[in-house]
Amino acid sequence: MNYPVWYLPETGGGTLIALIAILHVFVSHFAVGGGLYLVYAEKKGLREKSQEILLFTKHHARFFLLVTMVFGSITGVGIWFIIALVNPAATSLLIHQFVFGWAAEWVFFVVEIAAAFVYYYTFGKMDSATHVRVGWLYFIAAWMSLFLINGIIGVMLTPGSWATDMNFWAGFFNPTFWPSLFFRTFIAVMIAACYGYLTASFTADRTVRIAMTRFSATWALVAFALTIPAGLWYLSLLPEPAHGLVMGKSPTITVLRPLAAGGTAIFLVIMLGAGIIRPALNLKSVAGLAMAASLVVMGGFEWTREAARRPYVINEVMYSNGIMKKDVAEFNDKGFLRTALWVESKEAGGDRQQDAGRELFIQQCYACHTIGGKNNDIVAATANMSYRALVTYLAKIHEIRYFMPPFAGTEEERRALAAYIAGGLHGKEVLAAEVPVGSGDQGRALFEEHCSSCHESVAVVGGTFAGKEKKEIVDMLGTLNEISDEMQPFSGTVEEGGQLADYLGDSRDRQDQGGK
Amino acid sequence: MEAMIIPQADVLPVSWGWFQFLLLLTFPLHLLAMNAMLGGLAIGIAQHIRGGEVQKQLAHRIAVALPLVIAFVVNFGVAPLLFVQVLYGQFMYSSSILMGVFWILVIPILIIAYYGAYLYDFRFTRLGAAGPWIALLAFVLLVIVGFFYTNNMLLMVLPERFGEYFSHRNGSLLVFDQPGFWPRFLHMMLGALAVGGLFVGLLGRLRKKTEPALAAHAEEVGISTFFLFTLGNVIVGFWYLLALPEGLRNLFLGGSSGATTTFAAAMLLAVGALFGAYKKRFWLTFCHAVALVVVMTFVRSWLRAAYLQDVFTLDTLQVVPQYSPMIFFFITLVAGIVCVGWLLQKTFATFPGR
Repeated sequence: MNYPVWYLPETGGGTLIALIAILHVFVSHFAVGGGLYLVYAEKKGLREKSQEILLFTKHHARFFLLVTMVFGSITGVGIWFIIALVNPAATSLLIHQFVFGWAAEWVFFVVEIAAAFVYYYTFGKMDSATHVRVGWLYFIAAWMSLFLINGIIGVMLTPGSWATDMNFWAGFFNPTFWPSLFFRTFIAVMIAACYGYLTASFTADRTVRIAMTRFSATWALVAFALTIPAGLWYLSLLPEPAHGLVMGKSPTITVLRPLAAGGTAIFLVIMLGAGIIRPALNLKSVAGLAMAASLVVMGGFEWTREAARRPYVINEVMYSNGIMKKDVAEFNDKGFLRTALWVESKEAGGDRQQDAGRELFIQQCYACHTIGGKNNDIVAATANMSYRALVTYLAKIHEIRYFMPPFAGTEEERRALAAYIAGGLHGKEVLAAEVPVGSGDQGRALFEEHCSSCHESVAVVGGTFAGKEKKEIVDMLGTLNEISDEMQPFSGTVEEGGQLADYLGDSRDRQDQGGK
Repeated sequence: MEAMIIPQADVLPVSWGWFQFLLLLTFPLHLLAMNAMLGGLAIGIAQHIRGGEVQKQLAHRIAVALPLVIAFVVNFGVAPLLFVQVLYGQFMYSSSILMGVFWILVIPILIIAYYGAYLYDFRFTRLGAAGPWIALLAFVLLVIVGFFYTNNMLLMVLPERFGEYFSHRNGSLLVFDQPGFWPRFLHMMLGALAVGGLFVGLLGRLRKKTEPALAAHAEEVGISTFFLFTLGNVIVGFWYLLALPEGLRNLFLGGSSGATTTFAAAMLLAVGALFGAYKKRFWLTFCHAVALVVVMTFVRSWLRAAYLQDVFTLDTLQVVPQYSPMIFFFITLVAGIVCVGWLLQKTFATFPGR
């Protein structure tokens, strides 16, 4: 492929992106909403002529400066670094296509920094009206940064007509631009309120602590309430594959749901109970828990947004592994390795089959799969699959699992990848020969090829066929999609369907005997 | 010779000249801020350790300014990094991956150094004797960042070394063994220390009315530092020139009229700056030094293009024109400058007499 792959097999690039990105967005949204929060906290202090509230606002501004200027801005650069290291092709495409969007964002970043420093260092020294105007300027600049970044990263999920014409404005004002902008704005205010709640918990003056706790919790709850219609609007505009993934078809998203729901519940209970009803309960530990909960909420959103565009990194344009959608047919025809730049093994056949398979793994699978790591371990995912099963599975991987990109390459290359996974990683036998028709192992081989990618063993599915005759099992195999929309009808011949039914039937018998 | 691995470039929305212009416009800003940060911090540490009333006062002034300077080093670094990726992305993405482990380390190192600088500023008095050590740690970390940057900026123009990827797939390649690496790195660091001296002098100038003794001391220390380190850097600069491959070196010694003229202009500015510093004339030195940094970025750009000329020239980049986003950017830039101008005006009005 065009760029080298930074290969850390046990860590995986995705883990590093997630780590930096989630922490960054938690701070960067604070940097936006926090501007508005500071302005209104200051106005509250001025309106109520409360020196204590103004002092609280100044302390919060210092905390704001330390968190957003250092951690926020450096991790922002960090995201840029890490995406360029992990997915250089997508980064390069987005940088080149939207360079002036990024450049304009940089201008607002300059204004943001200047305004933030002026706001903090002139607090109590500049006349109040001008000082509040500086706060407003900060907020507008920060929000414009959000406006611009929202347009550019939105194109990755819903590119609209940009996917075909690459028009800057069509991509920028993509189909989910507006709901995403509103959603992120409300999330930013909600998170900023949560940070305000945290500062309040550190405030010694009880009156100010209670007043600012209630103030912060009100902001947090109102902003949260506004994220709901914005979120539903956002969801309604997602194209079908993405919508389906968010609604439950993506295991990556589903696995995080209980955590996100728990985080939301904790956040709401704290803000309502220890914010509005009993603000005196805002202790440092409670505020810390609220921060952790809002981090989970924010992380859940970003995680979902990232996972919803699978199997693409830029929807309909570039797959997660950096392969352009338009190039797949050519790779299938001419071969992937021969055209890829950063590979040592160019030939998939012969003695170096597994070396070629390793190159293919690095280039096409490693973007999402680790080897023996915590994130999407390929060894665990393919534990039950034989070489033959893998060869068949890789050919239709994108049909069986919508969120995975198709294998790009010739049949010989597909076999090389299967050989590397089965032989190189698992130490299993790599048998090139087909199982002869009529052999007793045919049913088992068909099970391996068609079922083992999802079903651990025949014993697991055997119960489904309890008490059924062979013909009934054959009929069921033809309508598997009615059992679950994640399954496809058996695609083999009638004869193969019979052989598989025999095998499944035998397994049922084995299970029955075992049960007895 | 084995064929070099060079990725295909993405298309540009406007002609490459615009990006070259923007790169050369913004990169000197980053360099000047970086020099102020590194040189200022080094002088602050030295003053703090040396002790004495005015020395400590100066160290404190520098400590207060440092977080602000770091913020602008990072910010002014964003724009040139963006434009260099647009022009040379196929080389820079590759080199960054080849040294991925070190390249990503820049981020946590910067965060620690930056918080160290804030700690040094906010707790200057309370830290006591520990203060200079924290500042020294921040300084060392920032030098390490510079070391990684020199590695990447050099590696990106050495596609002949890209084949080493196969023995460094985990991103562990550094090129400090490359001839020319060390003078290049030292040239950058000594330049930073020298120009940082002028930043310290400038800090003093801003306090001339309110703290004349501090101002005089800052200017004296700053201008002496500039003189000494610039003199040293002239020697390192010639070492750097000699360490360049012959073909590239000759470009600056008559081989190319443009490169030679730019290089000669830089030499004249260096002489002017040294003369100003010798005569202790602050603004004369300052203006020459700023112009020298700007012209040196032109020389650097020339060198980068020369390193790559056999495999790539900017005019081969494909353009699919979309000019309206650029117009939008320029309008934004003007609006941004107006906003910063307003902020400065209000700040100066708040602190009259400084």
